[in-house]
Amino acid sequence: MIKKIIVSILIMSCFSSCMVVKEYEKINLNDPDMKLSSTLVKRFETNFQVYREGASGANGGKTGGGCGCN
Amino acid sequence: MEEKRVEAVVVTSMKKIISIVLLGYLSLGFCYAQTNNTYKKKVLETAEVDFLMSYYTQDGKHASVTGGIGNEKLTDITPTIIVTLPLNVDDVLTIDAGISAYTSASSSNLDPFDASGASNGEDDDDDDDNRRYLAGETKGSPWVESSGASQQDVWTSVNVSYSHSSDDRNNIWSGHVGFASEFDYTSVGFGGGFVKMFNEKNTEVGIKGQVYLDSWSPRYPTELDSYLEAGQNLNNGFFADIDILDQAGNIIDKNGANVWSPLNSTLINDKSRNSYSVSLSFSQILSKNAQFSVFFDLVQQKGWLANPMQRIYFADRANYYVGNEASINNYTSPTNTDVFQLSDDIERLPSTRFKIPIGVRLNYFLNEDVSVKTYYRYYFDDWGIRSHTASIELPIKFALGKFTVYPNYRFYNQSAADYFAPFETHLSSSEFYTSDYDLSKSESHQYGLGVKYTDIFTKLKIFKLGLKSLDLRYAYYKRNDGLQSNIFSTAIKFILD
Repeated sequence: MIKKIIVSILIMSCFSSCMVVKEYEKINLNDPDMKLSSTLVKRFETNFQVYREGASGANGGKTGGGCGCN
Repeated sequence: MEEKRVEAVVVTSMKKIISIVLLGYLSLGFCYAQTNNTYKKKVLETAEVDFLMSYYTQDGKHASVTGGIGNEKLTDITPTIIVTLPLNVDDVLTIDAGISAYTSASSSNLDPFDASGASNGEDDDDDDDNRRYLAGETKGSPWVESSGASQQDVWTSVNVSYSHSSDDRNNIWSGHVGFASEFDYTSVGFGGGFVKMFNEKNTEVGIKGQVYLDSWSPRYPTELDSYLEAGQNLNNGFFADIDILDQAGNIIDKNGANVWSPLNSTLINDKSRNSYSVSLSFSQILSKNAQFSVFFDLVQQKGWLANPMQRIYFADRANYYVGNEASINNYTSPTNTDVFQLSDDIERLPSTRFKIPIGVRLNYFLNEDVSVKTYYRYYFDDWGIRSHTASIELPIKFALGKFTVYPNYRFYNQSAADYFAPFETHLSSSEFYTSDYDLSKSESHQYGLGVKYTDIFTKLKIFKLGLKSLDLRYAYYKRNDGLQSNIFSTAIKFILD
């Protein structure tokens, strides 16, 4: 598993050497719908999923704790 | 005359002081402008206020409070307010406060025999200290919602977070503290994080640490709690005036050899439930139209990780009931409304759990009207759960970008926890056991649709607040064990003028 994680990190670091998008070229990426975080209104869906499912985390939301949930 | 002179002196002095302060302020500003030629845009231009609300309903037939069978009806309303304040050009303070008011058939069946409300007694719990039931009158069923004190409750939460951005906006430090409370659970949480951007803000790495120091104020199934409270004597307390039936429907002799008793004479011995997590994130811009991020969490939980409200029924122990003997053979059917099986124990789970979720988001800007947002997560833990989550959302803009619709779909599956077994199938020789279907092998599908109205000019004003956006969202969730739920959510964002 640790090997897989290291390989993944190495692959990801390769992306940083891809083309660099300048600030003035980021119009599309700066669109609110292109945000890489979850939207505020989705927090309630994430919350009930944390209760109703065994898995949680890796989505910027709850990872466990703070509630009597899974 | 003298007074007027003094007044004139004071006014003159005040004018001088104000002039000096103004001059000083202006000269300081001038010096500052001379030494700081770079203009710093505020991280947050003006204060924002978000009003959020959700309405959630669910129904199912595997209530964990009644051992994996029974009514799972639940409704929940969650009003929340978030205030985000710019403290200066670099720092932002966020206050997030909300409540969650719920009614639950499942948790009301902590005391399934309660027809009039346990809180009618001396205290506000579900263990019916002072009430007496007459033989034949006591009824309950896992399929019928009782009116116990735990039928409805309120969860309250307050979180305060603070973030500081560096002058070049490439480094962000953050910290937060939070408190949450409900009738059987209290949580104190805190944490901090750091985000670093480089490669002309094309690459971002982040690390976040969180600690939750939670504690139970345990509530137990009423028969277990009452039995222990009465000194494990069926002729005392709650059971004194109640007939207990065996599997054949015969009233048992409470002084005989074959009587009901729970497996364990101790319930919770550790009220803490602490969680420690480290989250790593990596984001990368791939092109002018695509970007992705990877999230990786390590979560360690310690303490009483089982829920003390949840009953267990063992296959290798005799069954005993309270209620109508004619309904015993019909016990697991929703048509059973008047007999309840006495539980053998509460669920018991290991005191530690280690979770590792890894998630990936990939967003692609198709054109000015349509984007594609995708997400995948693989999760595993040392309780034996392996899970895949995948979702896709297609934001579609129309009316010159004022409106956006969000059709979306989410798939989820998981393997069962090592300690899960359905109603009446666990063996009492096991160390750990649960009949909570949230930990069972399952698959679910969620279909949703959202609509967002955006007004970047905030034309609509309410007092000093200008409406920036309005989000409405609906989702339907269906799990393959029969659980179904609906959730309506709304978020309204205002900007302070």
